[in-house]
Amino acid sequence: MPESVDGVPSPHPDGPLSGYRILDLADEKGQLCARVLGELGADVIKIEPRAGDRTRANGPFFRDEEGRESSLYWWAMNAGKRSVTCELRLDAGRELFHRLVASADAVIETSAPGTAKDIGADPRTLAGVNAGAVVVSITNFGQTGPARNLPATDIVGSAMGGHMYLNGSDERGPVRTTAPQAYAQVNFQAAVGAVTALYARGVHGMGQHVDVSMQESMANAMDNAQQTWDILQVNNRGPGPGRMSVGRVGPRYIYEASDGWVAALGMGGLIGPNSGAVIDWLDETGEAGPLAAPHWRERLAVVQPLEPDEQDLLVGIMEKFCRTRRKDDLVREAQARAAGWAPVYSPREIVESYQLEARDYWVQVRHEDLGETFVYPGAPWKLSATPWKQRGRAPHVGEHNEAVYGDALGLDPDDIARLRRTMVI
Amino acid sequence: MSSNGRKPRPKPFEGLRVTDLSWVGVGPTVAKYLGDHGAEVIRVESATRMEGLRRAGPFTNNEPHYDNSGYFANFNSSKLGVTINLKTEKGQALLKRLVAASDVVTESFTPGTLKKLGLDYEELRKVRPDLVMISMPLFGQTGPWAHYMGFGHVLQAAAGFNHLTGWPDGEPIGTGVAYTDFLVPHIGAIALVAALDYRRRTGEGQYIDFSQFEGAIHALGTSVLEWTANGREAGRLGNRDPEAAPHGAYRCKDGRYVVIACFTEQDWEGFRAAIGRPDWSDLERMRRKWSRLKEQKEIDRHIDAWARELTATQAYKAMRDHGVPSGIVKSPEDMHRDPQLKHRGHYARLEHPTMGLRTYDSPAFRLSKTPGGPWKAAPLLGEDTEAVLKGTLGMSDEEFTELLVEGVLE
Repeated sequence: MPESVDGVPSPHPDGPLSGYRILDLADEKGQLCARVLGELGADVIKIEPRAGDRTRANGPFFRDEEGRESSLYWWAMNAGKRSVTCELRLDAGRELFHRLVASADAVIETSAPGTAKDIGADPRTLAGVNAGAVVVSITNFGQTGPARNLPATDIVGSAMGGHMYLNGSDERGPVRTTAPQAYAQVNFQAAVGAVTALYARGVHGMGQHVDVSMQESMANAMDNAQQTWDILQVNNRGPGPGRMSVGRVGPRYIYEASDGWVAALGMGGLIGPNSGAVIDWLDETGEAGPLAAPHWRERLAVVQPLEPDEQDLLVGIMEKFCRTRRKDDLVREAQARAAGWAPVYSPREIVESYQLEARDYWVQVRHEDLGETFVYPGAPWKLSATPWKQRGRAPHVGEHNEAVYGDALGLDPDDIARLRRTMVI
Repeated sequence: MSSNGRKPRPKPFEGLRVTDLSWVGVGPTVAKYLGDHGAEVIRVESATRMEGLRRAGPFTNNEPHYDNSGYFANFNSSKLGVTINLKTEKGQALLKRLVAASDVVTESFTPGTLKKLGLDYEELRKVRPDLVMISMPLFGQTGPWAHYMGFGHVLQAAAGFNHLTGWPDGEPIGTGVAYTDFLVPHIGAIALVAALDYRRRTGEGQYIDFSQFEGAIHALGTSVLEWTANGREAGRLGNRDPEAAPHGAYRCKDGRYVVIACFTEQDWEGFRAAIGRPDWSDLERMRRKWSRLKEQKEIDRHIDAWARELTATQAYKAMRDHGVPSGIVKSPEDMHRDPQLKHRGHYARLEHPTMGLRTYDSPAFRLSKTPGGPWKAAPLLGEDTEAVLKGTLGMSDEEFTELLVEGVLE
């Protein structure tokens, strides 16, 4: 059993949620939710079986060396939590868990509907232990309904949530985002539900059950496609490199630069009230071609569908213009002319972004166990009175058994030794 | 007592008032959460600088009109609509009166805009010391990009979603939607509600500088650590997953797609049973996942051939009946007919004065004792100006008429 290390997680008494204790029984659908609440001050305790949580086997791994402490997935989603082990399949494990529940404000769990009872984590049992507890249950399709028991992973959530249909192209079909978005979405939306229920508890004085659906979280990412069907009975679909709105595919919005790609909606601003500024830019470099003629300014200032040959002409000019220039230069100049361009950034380029550097965004997280320090994403918000805080690396399996069971629950060393002997922790 | 004789259940945010100065997608969705859960949200707009989404379709009856936009409506359920021209001095003074009576201000202007109008947090807290205010432009309040313009469709590019969406041999097409507009509101709402809970406990308000960019990066999974710890960049893999085989979307004979994801050996055995355990699936190199991961091309070829003979519904049922994580790539039409979403009541149907009975997205969560959800259709432009000014602010008829005549309420 690894020794508890001072400072992991680092204390955060100044967060808006400081003083709350949250128990985390979650898998991919809820670990990020719990982490974020911890970064706002809550004491988040990850509860794992003795062999370690299943998701510790999720890759990729640090230096490609598989092991239960080397999963980058685990690092990313569980940073700053405490970890205790507890075998919830054993009576003594559930009893111990319920002692923790009695001291907690919220429980986040992701078991399949109807199965939480097996581990003593169903809302009714938990309410009996602690009527004030908020129980957040995050599942594929929600606790009720004909699909409630169906298995799902991220791509299933993306498909059944209607989002994936809107990505991809006619030629190659739908596509999902490689970094799992159904998981990301349901984690964040569950966190909204969790803090809303904590707030309601403060006002109305009772705990309650928060029933979260991954499918619905993706359904909320359909842009205006939901309304387009409701109002016009037209299906938006994957538009390739264009943008589709209200059933119409617009011209491409990504253009190749000399060192990558830029995103420039409305053909970089050529269409719309600001078109004059973009034509000026092209004109100044001698690359406006036929657009230099005055009638184009009038034609493009009013947003309206262009003829296909007009569209081809504009796209051709944009493609040629962008290809010889660096993306950051293009974006800087476009923004100076009030055109809303952005670079297509890779993870490395995001880490090297001068905007984020100027905002002092990134945090260095010490992994004293490896003798190394790594850069992690920083504050998603700057709160003036109760700052966000990264709480340190992710915990080892059961790293905080002594601290939690001893200090928080008041078990003496003999009790803890007995629990260990009987393979409860 | 409600009509069914039961005591109406309380809502989490009842008693809170929100002045919503935000526009387009992100800010209005954050404020919608509060409105859907009981806060009185007053959406402040001006006809002199029309909200962009009121000009964007879909429009009912295909009649472009600022009160007919489904795009606008969906983000603005459960709100009141007030018009104030903030460029006028009296409009600025009026807004301060409204903020003095509010608990929360939400806004997404380009940084500096409110300061120029004398309506930034430092000024507003003078009239409401315990105010919670959140600003949420694309890139935050400071830094060289603070003034950068754009929409969710291009922010997804800066935030890595284009790089990570598409095929390895193709362009970084990104998602087909203005993706961050449907991601970062949830992240913003977490901080806002947490700050409200802190205020409830301590009486202290605060200011939240929320950069959409900085929030979105937290949705990139392991991509940042793959670079900072392993020195390797994640890329776009089409529909593949580094840890599952098979993993993809397969075209069926009716042109629809079925998705299949086999992460575990149990998934794989279910998959084999679903396709009738053909010989290729029993080859030595197919028996372990680490080995299957190298055979994905071949596996996909077999699945493509299998799927071509079936409708998506047939293919999905075969997988589902064998416990394989799978699904149909649902179109917007499918979503509206989906029995699960119907059962959940995901699409709230609300009567709008000019648009009629329309569907609105609901939160992905249900609270058992203090339930929320959209309860009122989006406001017409300025629909509630008179009621709010005279009712909430106690404005006299004379003053209201004077402001109206002077164009302060445009």
